Amino acid sequence: MYTPAFTIRTDEEGGLRSLRIAGRLTLADGRALWAQLCAAVTTGVAVVDLRDVQMIDGGVAAILLAATNGKVRIDGASGEVERLLRLYACAKGSEGPPVVTASRGILVQVGDNAVEFGRELQRNLAFVGDLGAGLAAFVRRPQSVHFSDLLYLMERAGADGLPIIAVINFLIGMILGLQGAIQLHRFGADTFIANLVGLAVVRELAPLMTAIIVAGRSGASYAAELGTMTVNEEVDALRTIGQDPQRFLVLPRVLALCVVVPLLTAFGDLLGCCGGAFIAMIKLDISPTAYFSQLQRSVELSDVISGLIKSIAFAGLIGLVACQRGLATRGGALGVGRSTTSAVVLVLFGLVALDAIFTLIFSLLSF
Amino acid sequence: MRAIVSVRDLSIGWGAEPILEDVSFDVMRGEVFAILGGSGCGKSTLLRHLIGLEAPMLGRVHLTGIGPPQHGLEPPQFGVLFQSSALFGSMTLLQNVMLPLQKWTNLPKDAIAAVAQARLRLVGLTGFEHHLPSEVSGGMKKRAGIARALALDPQTLFLDEPSAGLDPVTSAGLDELILTLRQSLQVTTILVTHELASIYHVVDNCIVLDRLAKGIIARGNPSDLRDRSTDPRIAAFFHRRPTGSIA
Repeated sequence: MYTPAFTIRTDEEGGLRSLRIAGRLTLADGRALWAQLCAAVTTGVAVVDLRDVQMIDGGVAAILLAATNGKVRIDGASGEVERLLRLYACAKGSEGPPVVTASRGILVQVGDNAVEFGRELQRNLAFVGDLGAGLAAFVRRPQSVHFSDLLYLMERAGADGLPIIAVINFLIGMILGLQGAIQLHRFGADTFIANLVGLAVVRELAPLMTAIIVAGRSGASYAAELGTMTVNEEVDALRTIGQDPQRFLVLPRVLALCVVVPLLTAFGDLLGCCGGAFIAMIKLDISPTAYFSQLQRSVELSDVISGLIKSIAFAGLIGLVACQRGLATRGGALGVGRSTTSAVVLVLFGLVALDAIFTLIFSLLSF
Repeated sequence: MRAIVSVRDLSIGWGAEPILEDVSFDVMRGEVFAILGGSGCGKSTLLRHLIGLEAPMLGRVHLTGIGPPQHGLEPPQFGVLFQSSALFGSMTLLQNVMLPLQKWTNLPKDAIAAVAQARLRLVGLTGFEHHLPSEVSGGMKKRAGIARALALDPQTLFLDEPSAGLDPVTSAGLDELILTLRQSLQVTTILVTHELASIYHVVDNCIVLDRLAKGIIARGNPSDLRDRSTDPRIAAFFHRRPTGSIA
């Protein structure tokens, strides 16, 4: 059972009510002390008498001062108890006046947000412009861009992502094949499963799913990496030594993605079609030879190229947004988390929107 | 006076490679004790072992009333200020100081806030309670880190380079705070620092570590060591003499 290491009793002398505390007061008994002091203040106690208190700690000194809040006199403290109370009571607070954050009205908030949105747009345009300038400089003088870790970046985004790309695209091909097999079998059109899976995977699903995986792996990683570099002032350090962060950090990453994402997509195309072949074989008794022969007749080179063109655009989008979000990071670990989240969300939204635009353009051009 | 921290035959290192070997020393209650030495000699690593964040290769650290330092089982008997302040960026300064009180006391919420505010007032941060760490200066972060370290009234404070990167006025303010904590709360302070002015002003006793010797090369009062030591390494350290390489 809880027994506090102090006792409290209320005395009344000449109409003056006082609270007499005795014993050792530590933060462990803070809850009981706080409750009794708060109750005493509301019932008109005028003095807290500490003459029988043997010791207090800093936390209790803070509690005594906060609970009495200048309305009740603290009396009888001596020695260490008095010194500690004085330390907390006389703490100077701050060197300057307290910083008060004024509450802002709704109109002010809307206005501020609109201005901030405009600035953000301006920064993004400047970012894209800088990258364009970097790209132009790269075309003119390839050695002006920092490429020492390009191979490493390509390995991280490409080779390291092969297993997950393979599994996801194979499963997508299987799912598509399974759903198609049930419907096609009803109409006796089993062999067209190759057309269904092949076109869907090559034109739409492999580029999109591959880009989504790359956004989750490399996009998030770039945003977090550059965000951490920004808050650790490494990006500022780059600027001070005359290195352009765009050319040093962003361009290699965007180029690495633009090289590896189409390759990953081509790999995804193959695995997706294999997933469909697997289902055709076990569900519809279609041999792999017959499946791939039908696939060859239905999927044209332009279908593959349209998917690869999309994947290059997707790669550019992932690299640009992730790096921009990373370099725009402010405010420590919290800011890095925010940047990473916003990078992934923006990229996912952008991928789907870009895919829709490409599909529309290709259908208009009959490509 | 009795020892509040006892270190016996401590060998520490990363992997199999020792950084320090057979280190022994005592820190007495109420003293301000400094771990000194050149860069890379293992000062901060030794501090991490003293507070139980790393396991020693050999030997032991004993904290009075606790035994070997440990974490999470009972309220910490010591407070720590990390070199980077290590404040939680998603929390205000007040929430940072409230955190240990919420974990280890059963105080109601308003009492916890009152105690945390008092700690921040003690380190001169009234008016900044609701600011995020990213919104205050480096010196303020350090002071908020000390307020958080003091939250549970520890007997011992470990400070890793409290003055690093601070202007002389803020640094002097921290020195005064350390002295006030000792005088008023009898807090024992163990600090790692390079600031000579601060060392002479606040430190009672120190040990000097050396990277090549992999151990303690001197111990005692810093002013005495400066004035009396005949060891060229000690003279180089206290008189800021270059030793040929920047180490």
